[in-house]
Amino acid sequence: MVGKTLKHMKHLQYTDISYSKIFDEFRHPNSGAVVLFSGEVRNNNKGREVTHLEYEAYEPMADKMIEEILVEAKSRFKLNQAECVHRLGKVEISGCAVVVVTGAGHRKEAYDANRYIIDKVKNEVPIWKHEFFADGTSEWGQNCDCVTNEHEHRHHHERNE
Amino acid sequence: MEKRPIKIKCFAGLRKFFGNETTVLVEPDSNYAKVIEALQLLNPEATEILSSCRIAVNEDFVQLSETIKQEDTLFLIPPSSGG
Repeated sequence: MVGKTLKHMKHLQYTDISYSKIFDEFRHPNSGAVVLFSGEVRNNNKGREVTHLEYEAYEPMADKMIEEILVEAKSRFKLNQAECVHRLGKVEISGCAVVVVTGAGHRKEAYDANRYIIDKVKNEVPIWKHEFFADGTSEWGQNCDCVTNEHEHRHHHERNE
Repeated sequence: MEKRPIKIKCFAGLRKFFGNETTVLVEPDSNYAKVIEALQLLNPEATEILSSCRIAVNEDFVQLSETIKQEDTLFLIPPSSGG
């Protein structure tokens, strides 16, 4: 799947995410604070050695939902800019799986909005992580134990970040 | 009225139980919860994951209590695990 191109997908890609490039282009005269979060692939999960991850999405819906989350966050936190890009396909250890960048007048809004966006993307957007372990087995990950159709979140459990 | 077939597209961990897509038959005027019930009958081993799945139509989530409209393809969405 590597190298597959997604037509009209702004927030999903099968190729490496260049967060330095996104960051360099993230300039706004009204922004005094820019926060970048990079979710990266760990070599372990729950005591097991992880070799790599593969991400799958319901692509058109995931892309649309990330855009909606960014639009809502920009309004809620008075951001000047917001961006989020999520990887699909195989991501190696220490590879960037998802990046969120937020820019605001001051750091509080930029930090708060960044956390808000990554939490929503992880919990609500139809993207799934397939973990591959050193013992040759693999599992589909679960970030979220929500069971209600309304999907109101009650996260008491530890999330993988 | 005859039952009508509805195609269900599956993702991620659901494919182990149903493949990339499957078809269920539902009575006219059923709600989306009936689709989940039909899938549980089709493969009882999927009961646990089905209890946490949502259904999307035209790239939007629907409530399980809503009546199924004219659509013939649904997307079954297991819990997200991105990031």
